[in-house]
Order: sequence, then structure tokens, then C-alpha cells
Amino acid sequence: MVMPEPSERLRPAVIAYWVVSDGLSAAFFGGLAWFVGRPLLAEHWRHWSPWLDDALLACVVFVLALAFVVPPLAFLRWRYGFRDDLLLMRYGILFVEERAVPVARMQHVDLLRGPIERLFGLATLIVFTAGNEGSAFRVPGLSVRRAQELRDRIVQARGDGRL
Amino acid sequence: MTDASDLPPPGPAPEPAAPAPVLMRGHLHPAILLLRLLDALRQAVLPALLGLVVEPWFLALAGGLFVLQLGYSLARYLTLEFTLTGDELRVREGLLERQERRIPLDRIQDLGFESTILRRALGLAVVLVETASGRGVEARLDALSRAEAEHLREVLLAARADRAGGGQPVPDGTTAPAAATALAEPEWTVHHSSAGELLLRGLTDLRLSAFVVTGFAALQFADQLGLASQVAGVASSFKDWLGRFPPAMVVLVLLLLVAAVIAFGVVTTTLGNLVQFHGFLLTLRGDVLQRRYGLLTTRQKTLPRARVQRVTVEQGWLRRLLGLAVVKADSAGGSRGQGQDTAGGWDVVVPLARLWTAEALLPALLPGLESEVFAWRRGSARLVLRMALQGLLLAAVLAAALAPRFGLWALVAFACVPLWAVLGVLVYQNLGWAEGERFVALRHGIVGRYFAWVPTGKLQAVVVRQSPLAQLLGLAELTIYVAGGSPTRLPDLLLADAKGLARELAARAAAAAAAER
Repeated sequence: MVMPEPSERLRPAVIAYWVVSDGLSAAFFGGLAWFVGRPLLAEHWRHWSPWLDDALLACVVFVLALAFVVPPLAFLRWRYGFRDDLLLMRYGILFVEERAVPVARMQHVDLLRGPIERLFGLATLIVFTAGNEGSAFRVPGLSVRRAQELRDRIVQARGDGRL
Repeated sequence: MTDASDLPPPGPAPEPAAPAPVLMRGHLHPAILLLRLLDALRQAVLPALLGLVVEPWFLALAGGLFVLQLGYSLARYLTLEFTLTGDELRVREGLLERQERRIPLDRIQDLGFESTILRRALGLAVVLVETASGRGVEARLDALSRAEAEHLREVLLAARADRAGGGQPVPDGTTAPAAATALAEPEWTVHHSSAGELLLRGLTDLRLSAFVVTGFAALQFADQLGLASQVAGVASSFKDWLGRFPPAMVVLVLLLLVAAVIAFGVVTTTLGNLVQFHGFLLTLRGDVLQRRYGLLTTRQKTLPRARVQRVTVEQGWLRRLLGLAVVKADSAGGSRGQGQDTAGGWDVVVPLARLWTAEALLPALLPGLESEVFAWRRGSARLVLRMALQGLLLAAVLAAALAPRFGLWALVAFACVPLWAVLGVLVYQNLGWAEGERFVALRHGIVGRYFAWVPTGKLQAVVVRQSPLAQLLGLAELTIYVAGGSPTRLPDLLLADAKGLARELAARAAAAAAAER
């Protein structure tokens, strides 16, 4: 049985969403390390040296830069789609994953819209299967309409209100 | 057949028919009060002693506690009532805080009986109702007479079989009188463990690490009691005592000590195994597997075959050398790692048997397996290269870290590379998979060997994963999710193989799930 690869992409707006959310958390933790951690360490730790200052700064800048570099790459890699009765997804930059979930095996479907996601008009679809570890599968960066459509399609495919 | 993963949520039945007839209704056995009395007495002993020795008012406290507890037990006993109807099991209890728990019959995965020595003397059993919720035991009926417990199980199984039979119209228009057949069906013995097998199970149990943990915990306990200095004192006087002997003697004494510790560990695990799995009997009646075992606490567990999500055959290295294996079955809701047992040994189906015996009785657990032909295929030999490369990376990091202190000696770290390559060869020799019509079989291990059989219809999801190194070499890891137990992983397949297998399995799972409806 040969099946084509998943072909649908996420909304491009997801790049902006990821940049903002990753950037915010990177800025928060970077700021914490630089403006709070560094003075504390410099004052109380005897072995602190200017060399470590530079290293810390490099780290902070690197993490901030990642928040801008990773999202476009992640967007380019993300694919999802329905094939027959399967939800397929494929993503990852360093670690590439390809997942297949039979629609009939889904227990329930959630739509998630965080505050920043709402700003960009995006939604995340989360499907749950029975089982303990790793039983939730998420597709981020969908337009709200598309997410609702997918959810309805899953519910319909499951039939007789079994979800 | 329906399955845990595609059933309606608990709540009112979908069809607004008249309420299902009550099949059975009952209360706990009155002897539970005796047990509760003993419990209350046991708990009152310490405060009472304190009252006699230290402060008299502790006596009043003990008396108050005793009365309170007894009253609570009495209230629970009087209010608890269970009702079994055609589609659910209801347990109602509580005086001030009333609660009613309703468990739809087709949500019930397993029914287990457990009875400690005391309960057995009184002819009682604890009934454990398990569902797929992942919480394990959903409801617990603390003491029924054995006869009543057995009766409850019979009625429950019959009602469920009836429901499954009535819910799905059979093609030729006849609905099988499932209730009648379930009761009339003879009971077949699938496996009966001999004392020798159980003894071997204990002897080949390599969980000495658990023993070490116990020792560590004992040491911590000693520390809390302020005995650590005493222990240290004993240790140093022991060292002085050893110092009087010539070095050869010291080594001998130490070896003897280690041997004694190991012997103690082996004896305790062996005894533990003998007691836990005493008289292990696996039977099959109709479509329901049943296990009975235990010396002090006896356990009895029912597992409908349709609920089995995965069967594993596990051989630790010692057991593999001796050609022995343990068989386990996962049902929905349970969770355990590879090589581990769940508490109470709930998932063990055969405590220990010859490998070929174990394999021969698999079709009793997974009907249809006997007609399958498995052509085993191997993983990719490139995995040896992957392991060697990983060893190289590790060695480089280690060498760089050790170099400032040890100089050129840090290069010894590169011994990792051949070592990892050898490990890779071992992994390659054990890694394999086979696809049947309705099952997929997986095999992996380093020195030990672990087999897993998964009905493709039970599959929840399939994942193919590639680490950076695996991308370089064109390898991939396949993970299979079922509703019970932890996911089954198969590392280092060729990417094309992994993808092909994943697609094939996913498509079959979807087809099977569609056919169920």
C-alpha cells in the first residue's frame, strides 16, 4: 500500500507567532541571566572573570538569535494532511519525526488558542488517543477556520457522536 | 468486537430505552466489620501504650480514635451497596458525603480478586474493578464472600458478552446467546507453573539493584535515627580487625562477604517469587483468560482476550542463556517499562517457562496468531556504524574533559569506540521485525532478548523518528503506540523500511478500526 506524503503546510503567520513567543521567552530568560544572574555572580563568586562575562553574553545572544532562525526552518519542514483514515504529520529540524494516527482511534480533539496565537488568528489542534505516554498529537499554526474544519471532519469521520 | 479506544464516554446509554434490568444487588460481607475492628485495634495499640507509659490522656485519645474509626467503618458498611445492571456497575456509598460511581460494563477491562491470609480464613475476597482510565483500579469492593465474588464475575462477564453480541448484529441475522455460552464453556488450563519453574524464576531474577537500593535506604534510616556514627564506628573497627590479617586473607574475607550478600539477595528474591506466584495457573474459558496465584495473598485476575493490547516475551541475559522466558500481557490502562513488573505481578501471564513452551502458548493469548507466518526481517547493519560514531563522539568529549588532568592518558577514552561497535553488533543480532496478516512482531535486545506481538488492529499511532546521526546514515526509529503498556520502540531500521512499515501498519489499524464499527 503506497500513500503519498503529507502535503499541507501551516499558515505562514505561524513564523511570526513562533518568533514572538520564542523571542519573548528567550528575552525573559536572557534578561534574567544578564541583568540579575551576572551581577550576583560577579559579586559573590570569587572565580568570576571578564572572560565568563563574554561567554554569558554570547550565550544570551545565541538563544535570542535562535528564536529568529528556528521558526522559518521549522515552518519549512512542517507538513500535515489527511490520507484515507489517517492524520499524518511530519516535522523537525534536527530530529525529524513522522507520525500517523488513525482517525478512528482518536479519543477526543481539542482546539487551543493562546493569547499570542489569537493575536495572529491561529489555533492549535490537539488529538488524543488512548494510552499513557505520548498519546497527544498536536498540529500548530492552523487558521481558526481550518482548525475547526479539521475538527469537524474528525468528528464526522468518527461518526455517531462517539467522540 | 469493541475496544477501549472507541467506546462512548461514560454516562447515560445512547438509546433512550427503559433502564436495564438489575441483575444483581449486594452489600459487603458482614465479616468486613471484624477486619475493620482488628484494624482499629491495631491502630489504637500505639496510643494506648503511650497512654500507659507516658501520659494518661493518650488513653482517652486512643479510645476516641477507636470509637470514631469503628463508627466510620460501620457507616460505610451499612451504606455501601453495589448494583449490577445490564449495562453498568453502580457502587454507592457514604453517609454524609454520598457518592455513586457508575462504570459502564464495556469500560471494564479487568476484574481482579485479591485476598490476604486473614480474608482467606474468613472466606472473603477483595474485588478490584479496573478500567482503561489509566488510574488502574477504578472501584474496590473491600470484602465479598468468595462465592458472591465469583457470582458477580460470572454475571458481569455474561452481561457484557450479551451486550457485545446484542449490540452488533451478526451477518446471518442470528445473535449468539453469548451469556449462555460464556457460562457453559469449559475451562482449559493454558499453563500451570511448577514449583521448579518458580524456583528458577527467583534464581534468575537479576534485580540485585533493588537489593542495593534497600541497603541504601536502611543506611539512610540509620542516619535519621542518629546511628550513622555507630555504623561508621563499626566499619572502622571492622577495618582494624581486617588489618590484622595478611592481604590474601583480606581479599578472601571480602569476597566471602560479597558472596554472602549476593546469596542473601538471591534467597530473598527467590522466596519472594515463590510466595507471590505460588501455584500460578493460567486458564482460558470462552474468550476470557484467568490467572490464579499466591501463597499468602491469593490473587485472581480475569482478562478478556479481546482486551489484550500487546504480548511480550522477555528474556533477561541469564534467562536467555538458560532458554527461559517470561510472558506478559498488557491491557489498556496499565503502564510499565520493559523488564519491569507492575505491582502484584498483575501483568504476568506466565511467570517462567522454556522459550518454546512460551511461544507455543501465545495463540491462546492472541487468537489467530497460530495461522500467521512470520518472515523475520532484520534491522540495518549500519547501526554498528552509528553506535561506533556515537562512541567516537562520547570518546572525544571524555578525552577533552580529561586531558587537562591526565595528559595523554586521556586517550584511553577512545576505547569507547570499539566497545560501542561491539555493542552495536550485539544489538544488530537481536534486532528484527516481522509482519503477519493481523499481527506485527518485534524483537530487540543487547544481551537479553525481548519479543513483542501487537495486533495491528489495536494500534493507536505510529511514529518514525530520525536523530541527526540517523539522518546522516539513512536510519530511523519506529515507535508503535498501543493503549496499554509503554510504547514499543524499534531503533535503526533503514529509513525506507521504517516508513514502509509505519504506513502499512497505520493503514491496517485504520482499516481494522473502521471494520469494528
